[in-house]
Order: sequence, then C-alpha cells, then structure tokens
Amino acid sequence: MAGWLFVITLVIALVAVYRPFGDYLYRAISGNRDLRGERLIYRLVGVDARAEQTWGVYARSVLAFSAISILFLYLFLRVQDKLWLSLGFSAVPTHIAWNTAVSFVTNTNWQAYSGESTMGHLVQMAGLAVQNFVSAAVGIAVAVALVRGFAARRTATLGNFWVDLTRITLRVLLPACVLITLVFMIAGMVQNLSGGTDVTTLTGATQHITGGPVASQEAIKELGTNGGGFYNVNSAHPFENPTAWTNWLEIFLLLVIPFSLPRVFGRMVGQNRQGYAIVAVMAILAIASVALTVGFELHGAGTVPQAVGAAVEGKEVRFGVPDSATFAAATTLTSTGAVDSFHDSYTALGGMMPIVDMMLGEVAPGGTGSGLYGLLVLAVITVFVAGLMVGRTPEYLGKKIGAREMKLASLYFLVTPTLVLAGTAAAFATGNNRTALNVGPHGLSEVLYAFTSAGNNNGSAFAGITVNTPWWDTALGLVMLLGRFLPIVLVLALAGSLARQRPVPESEGTLPTHQPLFVGMVAGVTVVLVALTFLPALALGPLAEGLS
Amino acid sequence: MRLPMWLSQHVAALRALLVLTVLLGLAYPLAFVAIGKLPGLSGKAGGSLVAHGSTLIGQAFTDSDGNPIPKYFQSRPSAAGKGYDPTATSASNLGPEDVVDTADRKSLLTQVCARSQAIGKLEGVDGSRPYCTAGGVGAVLEVFHRDGLTGPVTRVISVNGPAFMPTYDGVTVESGTGEIPGGVITPIRGDAPAHPVVPSDAVTAGASGLDPDISPAYAELQAPRIARERGISEKSVQELIEKYTVGRALGFMGEPGVNVLELNMALDKG
Amino acid sequence: MTLLAEKPLEKAKPAAVRGGLLDPAQLWHSLPGALVKLDPRTLWRNPVMFIVEIGAAFTTILSTTDPTALAWIITVWLWLTVVFANLAEAVAEGRGKAQAAALRAAKQDTVARLLKDGEESLIPATGLKLGDVVVAEAGDVIPGDGDVIEGIASVDESAITGESAPVIRESGGDRSAVTGGTKVLSDRIVIKITQRPGESFVDRMIALVEGANRQKTPNEIALNILLAALTIIFLLSVVTLQPLAIFSKAYQAAAPNTSAINEHGVTGIVLVSLLVCLIPTTIGALLSAIGIAGMDRLVQRNVLAMSGRAVEAAGDVNTLLLDKTGTITLGNRQASEFVPVDGLDPEVLASAAQLSSLADETPEGRSVVVLAKNEFGLRESEPGLMTDAHFVPFSAQTRMSGVDLGGREIRKGAAAAVMKWVRENGGHPTEEVGEIVDMISGTGGTPLVVAEHLAGQPARALGVIHLKDVVKSGMRARFDEMRKMGIRTVMITGDNPRTAAAIAAEAGVDDFLAEATPEDKLALIRKEQEGGRLVAMTGDGTNDAPALAQADVGVAMNTGTSAAKEAGNMVDLDSDPTKLIEIVEIGKQLLITRGALTTFSITNDIAKYFAIIPAMFAAVYPGLDKLNIMRLHSPGSAILSAVIFNALVIVALIPLALRGVRYTPSSASALLRRNLWIYGLGGVLTPFLGIKLIDLIVQFIPGI
Repeated sequence: MAGWLFVITLVIALVAVYRPFGDYLYRAISGNRDLRGERLIYRLVGVDARAEQTWGVYARSVLAFSAISILFLYLFLRVQDKLWLSLGFSAVPTHIAWNTAVSFVTNTNWQAYSGESTMGHLVQMAGLAVQNFVSAAVGIAVAVALVRGFAARRTATLGNFWVDLTRITLRVLLPACVLITLVFMIAGMVQNLSGGTDVTTLTGATQHITGGPVASQEAIKELGTNGGGFYNVNSAHPFENPTAWTNWLEIFLLLVIPFSLPRVFGRMVGQNRQGYAIVAVMAILAIASVALTVGFELHGAGTVPQAVGAAVEGKEVRFGVPDSATFAAATTLTSTGAVDSFHDSYTALGGMMPIVDMMLGEVAPGGTGSGLYGLLVLAVITVFVAGLMVGRTPEYLGKKIGAREMKLASLYFLVTPTLVLAGTAAAFATGNNRTALNVGPHGLSEVLYAFTSAGNNNGSAFAGITVNTPWWDTALGLVMLLGRFLPIVLVLALAGSLARQRPVPESEGTLPTHQPLFVGMVAGVTVVLVALTFLPALALGPLAEGLS
Repeated sequence: MRLPMWLSQHVAALRALLVLTVLLGLAYPLAFVAIGKLPGLSGKAGGSLVAHGSTLIGQAFTDSDGNPIPKYFQSRPSAAGKGYDPTATSASNLGPEDVVDTADRKSLLTQVCARSQAIGKLEGVDGSRPYCTAGGVGAVLEVFHRDGLTGPVTRVISVNGPAFMPTYDGVTVESGTGEIPGGVITPIRGDAPAHPVVPSDAVTAGASGLDPDISPAYAELQAPRIARERGISEKSVQELIEKYTVGRALGFMGEPGVNVLELNMALDKG
Repeated sequence: MTLLAEKPLEKAKPAAVRGGLLDPAQLWHSLPGALVKLDPRTLWRNPVMFIVEIGAAFTTILSTTDPTALAWIITVWLWLTVVFANLAEAVAEGRGKAQAAALRAAKQDTVARLLKDGEESLIPATGLKLGDVVVAEAGDVIPGDGDVIEGIASVDESAITGESAPVIRESGGDRSAVTGGTKVLSDRIVIKITQRPGESFVDRMIALVEGANRQKTPNEIALNILLAALTIIFLLSVVTLQPLAIFSKAYQAAAPNTSAINEHGVTGIVLVSLLVCLIPTTIGALLSAIGIAGMDRLVQRNVLAMSGRAVEAAGDVNTLLLDKTGTITLGNRQASEFVPVDGLDPEVLASAAQLSSLADETPEGRSVVVLAKNEFGLRESEPGLMTDAHFVPFSAQTRMSGVDLGGREIRKGAAAAVMKWVRENGGHPTEEVGEIVDMISGTGGTPLVVAEHLAGQPARALGVIHLKDVVKSGMRARFDEMRKMGIRTVMITGDNPRTAAAIAAEAGVDDFLAEATPEDKLALIRKEQEGGRLVAMTGDGTNDAPALAQADVGVAMNTGTSAAKEAGNMVDLDSDPTKLIEIVEIGKQLLITRGALTTFSITNDIAKYFAIIPAMFAAVYPGLDKLNIMRLHSPGSAILSAVIFNALVIVALIPLALRGVRYTPSSASALLRRNLWIYGLGGVLTPFLGIKLIDLIVQFIPGI
C-alpha cells in the first residue's frame, strides 16, 4: 500500500508542477530579452544572439559543440593523473576514456568504469558534470527547435542554438540545481573535496569513507536525466541517496523536465491541449510500466526470489521493493539510467520491464528534450496512418506529412532498433557475450540490455556484464554516438522541413490530435512498433527466463 | 581575417565549452563545497562521520576471518569488495535463476541457502528455505530425458553437491558437481515453510554493498543473542532497536530499517 | 465501347461512394498477367513483395536441397503470396484495360478527312498533327480532339460519356470542343485539331486506366517509405535473431533439433516464413491495386483525371467553388408567384401572363404557363388554335415578348422595358409596380412586369411575375455534409450581391462571390490558397481556364472549350458540375482505403507473433509455449498456418481494395473512430481466428 502511495504522490506532484514549471520553461526559452550574464557569455563565445539559424546551421552547431565536448572530455580523462584532485588515480585507459567521453556527451552516462576507483574529483565536476548540464540542454534545444518547426509559418530558421543552450543552462538547469543541491546536502549527501577518510570500524577494521563533490553532481544527474553516478553503485550509494525521501525526490527530479516539456510544446504551438495530449501519451505508458514493474517485483517470481521470500537481492532496506521498482521504471522510462537497485537481480519479468521501457525509444517521458522529440516523431508516424484513415493528406498541427517528412521520421525510427539489434547480434556472433556474468537467457538479457541502453542513450545496465573491454567500449561508444546524433540531425531536418510549410487551417475534416482517441493511438503505435521489433529477442531473454 | 564557417563554429563551440566549464564545473560545485563548510552542514557534507565510521555507510561486524562477532548485530551480506568496502561498491548482479554452482563461484541460490543456514545456526532457529537442501546449498537437479526436454527420465544429477533426495520420478538421484550438457535444470522446492524464519534481507546482498540498515525483523531475530552475549535483558535490547528504527518517511516512503552501526555503538556505550 | 455500355451510369447516392464489383472470373483471367509480373525486373518496384519473392526463391533452393513436406508446402505458399499480390494489381489493371481496349477499338478505324489548302485528303487519324484542320460530316467519326472552327453539328458522344442523347457542337463560344472517337450525327463541321499525336483524350484515358507508367501519388510515395522502413526493421529483427538463436540452442543442449531450430539456429524456411509474415505484405500487395481502382472508380463516374495526384488532392480540398447555375440551382429561373397591382384579380394577371408566354419556349416561359395552370386552373390554349394571335418574340433590343390578340396587346419583360412601353402607349404606371419590382429583386428573384394595352385605352401594368432561382433539392443536406467533412462551399454567380445572398442563404452554402468575373474567381482562389487551403472548382468557358489552372482540383466540363480542358486536371464527361462533390469523396475514399489496410496489415502481426514465436522457440525453452495462446497443433502447423493466412488475406481483401473502404461523409474524429475499430481491432482479432481455423485443417496433412 505504501508503495502505491509512493507512486500516486509522484503522479500528483508531477501534475501539480506541469503548468507552472512548463510555463516557466516556456518563458525562459522563448523570451526576447537577454540577461546581462547571457550577453557576457555571447560576447565571450563570439556569437550573435540575434542571428537566426537554418536547420542546417543549427545542426552543425549542435554537432560542433558535441564534437568539441567529446574531444575535450577525452583529453581531460587521458591527462587526469597530471591534474589537481586526481586522488592518485592514473590516466583513464584509451578505450574507457573514449567510451566515457561519448557516453557523457550523448546524455547516456553509461559507465564502463567504477567511479570511486577511476575518477578524480576534478574530472568528475569539471568534466563529467559539465556534460551533465550541457548534454541535457542540447536535448532540450533540439526539442525546442522541432517545436519551432511545427509552430513556424513559412520560415527557414529554427532559432539560435547558442542562445538556446545558454538560456536553458542559465535560466533553468543551474538555478534549479542550486536549490536541489542545498536540499540534498541537508539530507546528508557529501559535498567536499576530500580524498576520503580512513576510519576504524567498531570491530577494529579499517574502512575508507570516500568523499567528493557529490551533492552538486547528484542534482544535475537526476534533473538532466543523465544518470552517471559519482560512485559505482549510483543512487543506491548512501552518499548519493541517503534516505527514502531523497529517493522520492530523485525520481521526481528525473521525471520533472521530460514531463513538463509538452507544456512548452503546447504553449509554442498555441494550443495547450496539444501539450496535454502528448503528456497523456507519456503518462499512460509510464504509469502502465511502473505498475507492471512494481507488480512483478512484489510478486517475486523465480527460484531465488522464491527461496528468499521476496525479490530483495540487489535492493536496499531503506528503499524497499516497490520504491526500488518505481525508480527502476522511472530511470529507464526517462533516459536517466541512474539506479537505486540492481536490475540484473530483478525477477525475470520485472527485469524485462526496464528493457522494454528503453525499447519504447525513451519517449515516456524520455530524456530531457529527447523524449519530446522522440514522441513527436512517433506522433508524426501515427498522424500519417490516422490521417489517411480520415481521407486527407495527413497533417499534424497544420503541417502536411508528406514524403520528405515520412522519410525523416522513418529513418529516425529505424536508427535505434538497428543499432540495438545489430549490436546485440554482433556481440553474440563475435563471442563477446561471454563477458556476461550470468548464463543462458539471463546472460542474453545482459547483452541485450547493454545495447538497448546504449542505443537509447539510457546508460543503466544489467550490471553483471563486464563491459570495460576494448570491444565493448568501442562498440557501445559507437552505438551511443550514432544513437544520439543521427536522430538529432533527422529531427532538425524534419523541423526545417516543417518550418518551411504554410500551415493548413484546421477544419472539421482535420484529424484532431488532442482527443483521447488519438492519444490512445499514439500509445498503441509506440507499443506495437516496439513489440513487433523486439519481441523475438525478448523471447529468448527475459521471456524465456520468466515463463519457465 | 574571417574564418570559414565550419571552423568558426568549432571555435565558438570550444569557447562556449570553456565558459560553461568554468561556470558549471568549477564555480558551482566549489561554491557548494564552501557552503558545506558552514556549521550545521559541515558534518553531513563531510560524510556524517562518527567515531567508528559513517552513520550512512554500513560496515561488517565480523572478525578478520569473516565470522560474525556475536555481541554485535550483524549487517546484511555485502557484495562490495570483501564486504562493505566503499572503494569497491557493488551489488551481486546475479539473476533470479542463478542456481547452479560452478568451480569459480557459488550460485546465488546456494549463497542464499548457505547464509540462511548459517544465520539459523547462529541465532538458534530454523534456517531452512524453499529450494535449499539441508546441507545449505541450492536444491537443484539436472534431469535427463530420453528425447531431450521430454520423454521418460533417464538420469538425474544433483548439480550442487550430494544427492539431497533419493529418487526423482523413479530414477535414483546421483551426486554431482556442476552441470553437464544435455539435462534440464530443475530446482526442487522442498518442504520448507513458505515464510522462512530468517528474514529475506538477512540472506541477500543489498544494492550498494554499503547498506547501513537491516529490517526490524532481522534485528528482532538477533535480539535474544545480543541480550545473551552481552548479559543484558532482551527488553533493553528491544528498546534500543526501537530507538534506532527509522520508519517510513512521511509514512509511505521506503521501508522501516534499523541502522546497524548506530545500534551497535549504542550497545557498546552501554 | 461495349463495356462502357454495360456499365450503366449510376448516379451515386450522395450518402456513400460505391465502387465497381469484383467478378470472380476476373481473377482467373488476370492470372497470366499475375505470373508475368513475377519478373524481378518489374517486381523490384514494390520492395515489400520483392523481398517476399527473394524469400520464396531462397526457400525453393532450401526445399530442393533438403526436401520435407513442410518446406515444400511453405515454399508453395510463399510463391502464392507473391502471385496473389500480382493478381490484385493485374485485376485492377485488367478492368481498366477492358475499358481501354474498347476505346482503342473506336479509335483505330478512324480515318481523318484532312483539309489542306482547300483540298480534302484521307489520312489515318493517328497521323494527325497539332493544328491540322479536318472535316467531319454526318456519319463520320471525329478523328481527334479539337475545336469546331466552322459549322454546327449534333454529335453522339456516348462512346466517351455513355450518355446516349446527342449534344450540339458549334464554332465559337463554349461548346466548340469535340473529342476524338465521337460521332457526328448531322450536319458538317470543320475541326482544328488541338492534340499532339498520341496525347488525345482517349490516349490519356487508356494510359490512366491501364495503369501503365502510372505515376505514384505523393501520399503513395510517403506510404511506400513507411512500408519500406517497416520492411527493413523486420528484416533486421529476423536476421539479428540468428546469433541469439544459436546461443540459446547451444545453452539448452538438451533441446532436440526440430524442423524450426537446430544447432545452426532457426532454419532458413522458418526464418523466411517469419519475415514474410511480419513485413506488411497485405498493404504492400494491394497498394497499387488501390490506386488503380481509385482511378477506375472515377472513370466509372465518367470523370477523367489527368493524374493520380489530382485525385488525391481532391480528398484534401478545403474550399469548393461551385457555379450557381446548374450546380446549386436548376439551370433556369421559374415563375413562382403572380403579384397583381391595384387590387387586380390575380387570375387576370395570371391569364395575361399565360397568354403572353404561350409561344415562349424558354424554360422561364414554360414555367409561367405551368404556374398559371397549377394555381388558377387556367388551361393552356394551343397557340395554333388562336388564329388571330400574333406572337411577339423576345429580342435583345426590346427586352420583352408578348402577344397581340386583335385589340389586346400583352407584353411581359424587364421592368424598365415594359414600363417604357406602358408610358409610350399612354399609360401611367403607379408607384406600386416599382415597389413590387424592388421587393422581388430584394429577395433574389427576377421580376417580369406584365402589361396590357387594350385598343383605345391607355396601357396599364397588370402586375409582376416573380421568377425565382430554384435551388436543387437536396443541396442543403449536401452542403451540410460538406461542412461536416470540413469543406467550405463558395457559390460563384454573376448575380448582384443581394440576389446572391438570398440564394446562398437558401442553398446553405458557406459563402458566395457575386457579380463574379473570371478575374474575381482567380483572385478568390489565390486568396484561399494563401491561407493554405486547397481549392476545387468546375468550369467550362475559355475565360475559366486561368482559374481552372490555378485551382488545386480543376474539373472542366466536357462540353467546355479545349482551353478549359487543357487548364483543368480533370474532365467530367457528363458535364455535371455536382460531380465535384463525388470527386472529393472518391479522393477521400482512396486515402482511407490505404490507411485502413495499412493499419490492418500492421496489427495483423500481433497474432502472427503468437503463432510463430512459440513455434520457433518452445522447443528450446518449453515455457514459451505459454505464448501459444491459440493452442496450435504443432510448430510446423503453426508456421504454415501463419504463412497461409498471410497469403489468403491478400486475396480476401482484393474486393475491398478495388471497391474502396465504405465512406460516409462525417467528421474526421468519427471517421477515425470507425476505421480504427474496424481495421485496427479487426486487424488484431481476424488473424487469431484465421490462423486457428487454418491450423485445424492443415494439422491433418501428413508430416506437419
């Protein structure tokens, strides 16, 4: 009962902030005035804040910023041993540095390393955490550019990437994180530059209590749906998630931006009900997934959970089963990937849910920005089929979905499954699946999980698998890179194509895209497309394990 | 000199990254490190340290050989390094059907069974669990059928050690070590009670390997031993348990837990 | 020709668009064509079916090297899947071809009487060039499309329109266009050819209905992209399954080899079966048939579309420009009321009006006679019986007509003209006449003043005949339907705004354009298009040509000029302006059919998964048999049943593809709800039933 109340209060809180926070986001992004600090930044960066960019220029700006970020982070990791606060850790090996640089720039935060034994404090805060901010901002910027494409009337431009990046970071993420960090510190998260303290335990042994600027990083880790833990065990670590209520708060934070962005969408296209429709699709899928995950975990099927009496392996006492399962669903429904319990030890079907959540394409509600643009692409595909069924050339918000739009939407929709399935098959074909800790179907799930997580930029793992080998680091790095930037370029191209169109006025003959029927259809299309694509693979993994 | 478009974009990108790194990567976290020095926050920001560790970080109450020290409440099993090692945090990451021991490692099922039995012995209660043998390993048979997965049973092996039942489907169960190809892994439920005496958190590793808490039920189970070992009344132990039990936040968040380090320190204080 | 005659002109009911029926014999006749289409060089244009063909070829090789009953039966059904898809297209084309053949027969025999430098020579019609001048006399078949430049003739156009009544074609004006293949019944005309060789109407019609080099329409291209994407994704999902299957089989070493899976993974036959069942074969097979049948439905309604694009655009139309006369109102005004002056007995007025109209054969004149008869029982006297009567015909100069009966002269006509006549004959028309005239004009009617002049007395006005535009029955309901579909109707009329407003209100159109000149029309279309709307209109005159060209859907009347026909993108052979509404419905129906079958095709996959996945993998992981919710007999029968269902559903849906999904004009949400229930939910449930039924039969095949 307490578990369901936990879920219900989260829903109530998200509903409560949808309008005010969404409106705040809208004003922050779409205003015309620059703050003094922002003007200073534009001057330092050397960009003209008033210059509007075409989709091509916008995309090249995103790619340039991300490429520089990857390069910078890679070098940072490679030379950390020569820098301040390295805690004596050596330079990060090349393949792990590549994997990590890509992982944080793509908002994935897949971790092929163990934080407390690899990364010094400087790299954590000035390297990894900076990307936590800006990769989230990039996602939101791209989503906003797509929405501008829907809202535009025959223009060639989509806004200015540098302005979007700066505003989202300075007006939204940073102020929110300042507030959250304070709360987290009060809750007991550490925030220091200590290399750790050796203490003598009650029994006379020595224990090394680690330190670090954790609270400040934890705030953006959740808010930006990044999920890269300061420590290896992420949000299960008492320093990253000390109490049951910080657990609630972290789940709320990782959901709040993705669930509020549809409001921005509704405001920008001038029809709030369109925002409600999109958030309704997200909510339906999310609530169903949370309910199933919690249900499967509470049911506790499987030999070991039956022997134990509950599915508590890999779960902390202070969180308990339902709250841990809620976190697992929320972190995979968004592209966060932080964990407060270890999915590998979940019941077979309970562990399948996070995989399915990611396979949905990170749209319910998905990552910061990426969730909104992902769902809008799915809505475009739905509009196409539904639009034909009402006897008109399909149109969404007055924009016709023609051959070019379908080409871009279809390619978008192809990218991730291709990466996930090809990657998984390649791991088995090359024998690299043998680094999986578990055998049989569960081992297959570990491999499938890894590529699903990387391809969808989630970053969580069935952590039993050893992935810090050169093959895994290279393969997953490529999958993360392509899984992030191919869709971004396609989305921006789609935005450009939509922006050029003259909107068709709405009439009785127009497919209504704000009514329950359409909401249900988008949800249905999302689930059916996923089920059809991934069911065979799931059958040999979690389904084989869970149905035996 | 005007830079070509593609180059100027990368220069802008580099400048933007540097500006944001200074702001977000240095100014922001360091400001909070400074705030963390303020009285009232410094303890928490420093790691909630107490005389013998951190109240947030669990520790093992075992001797150097890993045996429980009876006068202390015992923590949950830990998968962090050799146990409760904050420099090697980890969960076990073993799946729900990890039931066959190999030469390299014990299966999760056997670990659960072994822990249950050990705790049963330590606390003087019944340590039996479903799918566990009396010997404290996973009760798992490998069953060979004539036609692979179907047909009459031709051979039965107990994969995790000595045969724990005489026959299966009329075929004598052989003792074995590990799985050999060709059979079907079949866990045997046995007749242990559905709700074992030893609580579930006592036989499983947590998520962090640093779980500072145990369930109130596990604390209750240990109370008689603590009272006996320390020569104090069970009631006073119970009172301490209650004192260090943290209920659900706001009545619905998380699960009740007992902070083991604080409890043991309170016991030592007398 | 004969074929067209067999298809009686059905005036489609306004409520629903109907299409042609499928004759089972057609399937049989089309079979050879379907087999020819197996040629990969033509099939690759349909990526979905091309993949199926490659799969079928692959399983053929596998079956030959390792023959089993299951393998061969599956192979046969995979080939049948491709054949069925080709059959759908062939049937659709076949129906068009039959029409085309008839048309071509009419064309080939034609000999042209070329007029050059005043000399006539006989050449084959196919040799005619643009600008040639030909002569056609009674009994001649007109050799090509052109304009009459000299003479007048009655022409039998039934070969093209199916309408047996002859039509008049004359030089100049809006009835100058003639069509090749039609027959002159009387008189002699000289025609200037306006077509290039091989581009005549009939040629275009043949090309369109045959489906040869049919251009894909924009929505069809977009849909093809989606289908290609789905095909790729399933191809990927099936191919990448193999390493996983090998791993699983190796792990579960106890699992015996089956016909579906062995140590090398899933067998080729089963893998191909899975792929074929998953890719959207249903819609892929029927897509081009739907397009061809859509054109065909238009042709059956005697509308020629110049491109499929125009048909699709018709479904998207937001604004319909309709000419008042002939479309919204009956072609002519009719007398609706006699309004006498000065307390005069209305019957006197009626009688005078009737008398003056007896010789007036115009519809207006007839309607006056009829009204007088109906209202006052005044029997119409035969003009021939009234020996002393002298009828004065209407002329543009006098703007009135009438009758002289010895000492009594009666005149009726435009108010100003008749009043002038009254005054000239010593009368002093009262103010009241003017008031009545204004009142009638104010309500959109046309006043005709009736006056008499008895010898020796001053002339006097008797009263006014109220001529009214009569709105066709059912138009208001029709426009309400349009509104429900989100289409705005705009009435175009040359009337003054007051008259136009009155008629617009009566007919229930959304807007009107009064005193419309061709320039006004063009401007209106541009304005609508500026707002992102698609505009459809009809037109016949040369001065309509710019507007027809500008409109997204321009339907030219067949009676119209060549210029109008060239400018529009459709021609209505019946010259029925109301047809526009049906064209819109056909356009919508075409899109709906594609959308519905796509939905059906995709939702079908759910059941197929429940058949095939347990069939493939339950042998390795017995728990997966729980997914076999249909309780199919064996892995072999499950896979075979899915493949057979997949093939048969194509045949089962051919009639639907040709006929089109039933379309009732209604709002978008109502349409979506209905089609989603039928084709979405139906698509989920039908295969469960179908596969189970097929399984109950195929399980008796030995070796399955």
